[in-house]
Amino acid sequence: MIQVERLTKRYGNHFAIEDLSFTVEEGKIYGLLGPNGAGKSTTMNIITGYISATSGTVAVDGHDILEEPSAARACIGYLPEIPPLYMDMTPREYLNFAGELKGMKKAARKEQIQRVMDRTGITEMADRLIKHLSKGYKQRVGLAGALMGSPKVIILDEPTVGLDPAQVIGIRELIRDLGRTHTVILSSHILSEVQAVCDQVLIISAGHLAAQGTPEELSERLSGKSALNITALGDLEKVRSIVESVGQIGKILEAHEQNGETSLKVEIPAGRDLRAELSAALAGAGCPVTALATETLSLEDIFLQLTEGETAAGQPEAEKEPEANEQGEEKEE
Amino acid sequence: MIAIYKRELKSFYSGMMGYLLDAFFILVGGLYFTAVNLQGGYSYFTYTLYNTCFVFLIFVPVLTMRSFAEERHNKTDQLLLTSPVSLGRIVMGKYLALMTVFVVPLAVLSICPLLLKMGGDFSNLSNYSAIFGYFLLGAACIAIGMFISSLTENQIIAVLGTFAILLLTYLMSGIRTLFTTGSSLALIVFAVLLLVISLLVGLNSKSLSLGCMVFVIGGAVLLVLFKVRSAALTTAFSALLGYLSVFDPFQNFVGDLFSITAIVYYLSVAGLFLFLTGQSLEKRRWN
Repeated sequence: MIQVERLTKRYGNHFAIEDLSFTVEEGKIYGLLGPNGAGKSTTMNIITGYISATSGTVAVDGHDILEEPSAARACIGYLPEIPPLYMDMTPREYLNFAGELKGMKKAARKEQIQRVMDRTGITEMADRLIKHLSKGYKQRVGLAGALMGSPKVIILDEPTVGLDPAQVIGIRELIRDLGRTHTVILSSHILSEVQAVCDQVLIISAGHLAAQGTPEELSERLSGKSALNITALGDLEKVRSIVESVGQIGKILEAHEQNGETSLKVEIPAGRDLRAELSAALAGAGCPVTALATETLSLEDIFLQLTEGETAAGQPEAEKEPEANEQGEEKEE
Repeated sequence: MIAIYKRELKSFYSGMMGYLLDAFFILVGGLYFTAVNLQGGYSYFTYTLYNTCFVFLIFVPVLTMRSFAEERHNKTDQLLLTSPVSLGRIVMGKYLALMTVFVVPLAVLSICPLLLKMGGDFSNLSNYSAIFGYFLLGAACIAIGMFISSLTENQIIAVLGTFAILLLTYLMSGIRTLFTTGSSLALIVFAVLLLVISLLVGLNSKSLSLGCMVFVIGGAVLLVLFKVRSAALTTAFSALLGYLSVFDPFQNFVGDLFSITAIVYYLSVAGLFLFLTGQSLEKRRWN
């Protein structure tokens, strides 16, 4: 649906995003995840054609965003970070305007306005001025505007920022609902949100694509194989030999003995649960198990690991400064 | 384009702005009409128009200040620029809406020559050709104002900038007469102009040597011209100022002349600034 290839955006000497490539498939919900200033908004602004990339290409439904801008933009409904609302209009007028911009015919527009308003729950606010609406309603009106014209792709930049918890849940449900009929890309710096809503997660850090996959895949792939912490009564040598005799078991990562209890950290292959076999084998050999726990890294850990690892591992101190600048710059944009 | 036109027009007339501007225009026009034509007894409505040219200095900046500056400030430009509507159509939609707000009072004032006609027998042709010229003058001024509004997101800067530019062009014919003596002044002005151009070239191409080269070559040409044909330099300078005087060509219409040059001039100015508006929006994408 969307092909992004080697996308780079440079502000002066600073790269907001650098060499970013990914593909968005039809009918899925994608989450762009990253800390503030990672380049999420920049990426979205480029895909929607609001700003141009320094280099690289974006194709939406086969239409290059520079060669056929109108055709590409017709496929996209975009809700920027700050909803682009005209305060002196009512939601109904605004939706009508958004539909007209998308080139919809009058009859189709009228019908769709009603449908979109029902879907986003703004029907009772339809004829109040937008400037009198609360933030949550403004967000919904913006979202409704993005839905006008039934675009194939809906792009939402931080759709739940600044909303109260009830509204956040409402918007998330709406997004999940949208995912059934549209391709959705949303950005967020809140992990649980992406985990709850998205089919696919793209983690962006300092302008690079750090990781990509389903939330489960990411947890799994990035934690490597999951590990099992096991504690049993008995001396080290005995417990170790029993554990090693269990089939399919991986390496023993840590082992130590304390007060007649042995603690082991054992690697187990992905997708396998060997807890039952292990405890049965140990109990059978006269070493009762006192504790047993699977250790999987949560997406949160991976996220932190990835995004912090990026700055900690790769970049010298001096390069951290421009990152702070970038956040300022992006606000000015 | 029609969507943008309608929205823009509605935003003018759903608040006070559109009515205030139109009322102001009609009030000033009506006052001068009463004084010049009705009390003074002239059948030339052109005099009224000539005397009310200054209205543009206030009317146009206030009219155009919001057009793109407000969109940018409220981030609503994101909706327009990411919609399937092309940039040219966005600019045209806005421009036509602004023109409509301007044409409404002008249409009301167009009744005045008919009122005059009731008092005596004369041809109204020159009056209406002057109204046409006035319309073109407004079209050019509004394009300039819209361009300046597209450069900034601050409406105050837009209104003051447009006012300053229009005031400068308004006074240009006066300024021009100050500069007729001697070609050395022309040389200085052209040198400064050249410096600005070469600076822009240097900055845009990010090459110091290119900027310097432009300046040196241009400077040499200027000096040669100054030595060999200093009169040409003065004439060129005067002509240059003449082109910047947007209000001057309208005087042809006042002088009972249906001037094709003036029409072409106004249409080119309007076209140029509409084009520049589009370019300034496009540039924002690439910054």
